[in-house]
Amino acid sequence: MSKPKVLLLGEIAHAKAEWEALSDVATLEVCDSKNREEFIKDLKGKYSDIVACYRTFKSVEITGRIDADLVKELPKSFKYICHNGAGYDQIDVAPCSEKGIKISNCPSTVDDATADVNMFLILGALRKFNLGMSKLRRGQWNSGMPLTHDPEGKVLGILGMGGIGRALKKRAEAFGMTVQYHNRRELSSELADGAKYVSFDELLATSDVLSLNLPLNPNTRHIINKDAFSKMKDGVVIANTARGAVMDEAALVDALASGKVQCVGLDVFEAEPKIHPGLIDNEDVILLPHLGTLTYETQKKMEIQVIDNVRAAVTSGKLNTIIPEQVSMQ
Amino acid sequence: MEHVLLLGELAHTQAEWEALGQYAKLSICDSPTKADLLNDFKGKYSDVTVIFHFNNSPAGGLMDKELIDATPDTLKFICHNGAGYDLIDVDACLKKGIKVSNTPGSVDAATADVNMYLILAALRNFNFAQTLLRQGKWNDGLGLSHDPEGKVLGILGMGGIGRAVKQRAEGFGMKVVYHNRKELSSELSGGAKYVSFDELISKSDVISLNLPLNANTRHIISKDVIAKMKDGVVIVNTARGAVMDEAALVDALKSGKVASAGLDVFEEEPKIHPGLIGLENVTLLPHVGTRTVETNTKMEMQVLDNIKAAITSGKVLNIVPEHAHL
Repeated sequence: MSKPKVLLLGEIAHAKAEWEALSDVATLEVCDSKNREEFIKDLKGKYSDIVACYRTFKSVEITGRIDADLVKELPKSFKYICHNGAGYDQIDVAPCSEKGIKISNCPSTVDDATADVNMFLILGALRKFNLGMSKLRRGQWNSGMPLTHDPEGKVLGILGMGGIGRALKKRAEAFGMTVQYHNRRELSSELADGAKYVSFDELLATSDVLSLNLPLNPNTRHIINKDAFSKMKDGVVIANTARGAVMDEAALVDALASGKVQCVGLDVFEAEPKIHPGLIDNEDVILLPHLGTLTYETQKKMEIQVIDNVRAAVTSGKLNTIIPEQVSMQ
Repeated sequence: MEHVLLLGELAHTQAEWEALGQYAKLSICDSPTKADLLNDFKGKYSDVTVIFHFNNSPAGGLMDKELIDATPDTLKFICHNGAGYDLIDVDACLKKGIKVSNTPGSVDAATADVNMYLILAALRNFNFAQTLLRQGKWNDGLGLSHDPEGKVLGILGMGGIGRAVKQRAEGFGMKVVYHNRKELSSELSGGAKYVSFDELISKSDVISLNLPLNANTRHIISKDVIAKMKDGVVIVNTARGAVMDEAALVDALKSGKVASAGLDVFEEEPKIHPGLIGLENVTLLPHVGTRTVETNTKMEMQVLDNIKAAITSGKVLNIVPEHAHL
């Protein structure tokens, strides 16, 4: 009996040996389609017997989003999408589930690196370090720099206390912050580890610093909108390492201009790599180009996690880290 | 009659300063320059007993031997606003019977926050990333960086600030070793391994400078010492610029010996070695260590508490180590 065929959509940089080692349980193919049109054609041709794929965030530049239209074109054999990344909003889950296609992502391996960026953004926004750096490089030293604020004793509200949110809590507490959170459902006391569970509205109304750590999906798009800003504390500080589109970027720029939001730290943007010019013009804010997990150590861990999911899929029919929406499928 | 002279400007504690008026005559120094102050110490300030000292006082920021020797014999205490007091000649004070206090403790959290920010920025190459973004290049050419998790952080000078840095660094999964003049109690060191200076230099992935500047520590990080560090070491300094040879650092950054650096202080601040400005792998802050509303207020309050104690009991609360035996 021939081995199941597995397709690599994108590039593997660090775990090449681990990828090659999959050849004991699968036949490995590297996708060479140059664009979505060609990919769809190839799905009827040389990729018509693919069972599982390893896809990267960047491969969206070739295939486009894995939306209902593309899922329709996937061959009957195609049963598993093993995604490299914690956020999988590039994939429309419903059409996949309907077709019996299971999706895995990368929880936990991303936690520390993303939480590190997140904490950096909180510090940078509270202390307005970008303004300091800019003044220094302009030869102004710290002249005219306002006094800023310590994180110590401030309330950090985490919206979405999953793995990344909990890793952030640990870091924030080392800086003397008090942590509260809102989730779809309250966590066990073991997982919450002392953080107070509050409603969405209470989180907005009582947090000095708000951190966005929730996944992007139809329910959470623009969850932070003009209305939400109006419910926040005056002078709130916001950090976002989740997805740009959980926040209305234009409304954020307005809130910064009015002073409602004192400062922000962002690693993600609604239409990245395009950034709202109102943010670029603001010298106080800390802006990073979506580098949440861009370290050697974490990239390798993530690649291995995806490869392990592929192996589990073809050998047992079950994914190690199936996405929450599909847990009932296994 | 006690007479307290304010050398500098209060930002937050006007009311508490005025409350000292029940114990002493209060003066706010209006001498525009050092020369004027030298004169005024013979005139209207010739009966000053306590000085509230800020580093950025135009006339009296730098209290060198000349200025100390010119202070009236009535002066008994200089209560300094700041942890680092290297702008005050403590030897000259000792000889004149003047005791100096500083503000340890109140500076710890804010300085450690800056310190940890710089460690993250240096390890993760955030300065380059921010520059690329604001140039419209997104992360094109950024490459990968390194996680702090599992890396060895060597703290040189684990006083209050160093211990606050340790607490934060461990939240990021770093392993902390330290070197001090003397090993700390296990309670204070909280599990950090005490190592020799040489071992700290040669074994640390990240080196954090948290020691005071004095005659013994000037350029303690020299060209020779840098050569003994790990290839690709990361260095962070929130102490005083002059504990490190800035020109040697620039050379080491250019050669790649030092992979990246985070600096809040510079040898001749506000002048910065031009070699640093051109580098993308350094994060430079303009000595913002304690520049928050909350911490500045705490510090000013601490100085006022030291002044009140000096006036009412004859002893300050936070005498500097060099005068502790008095």
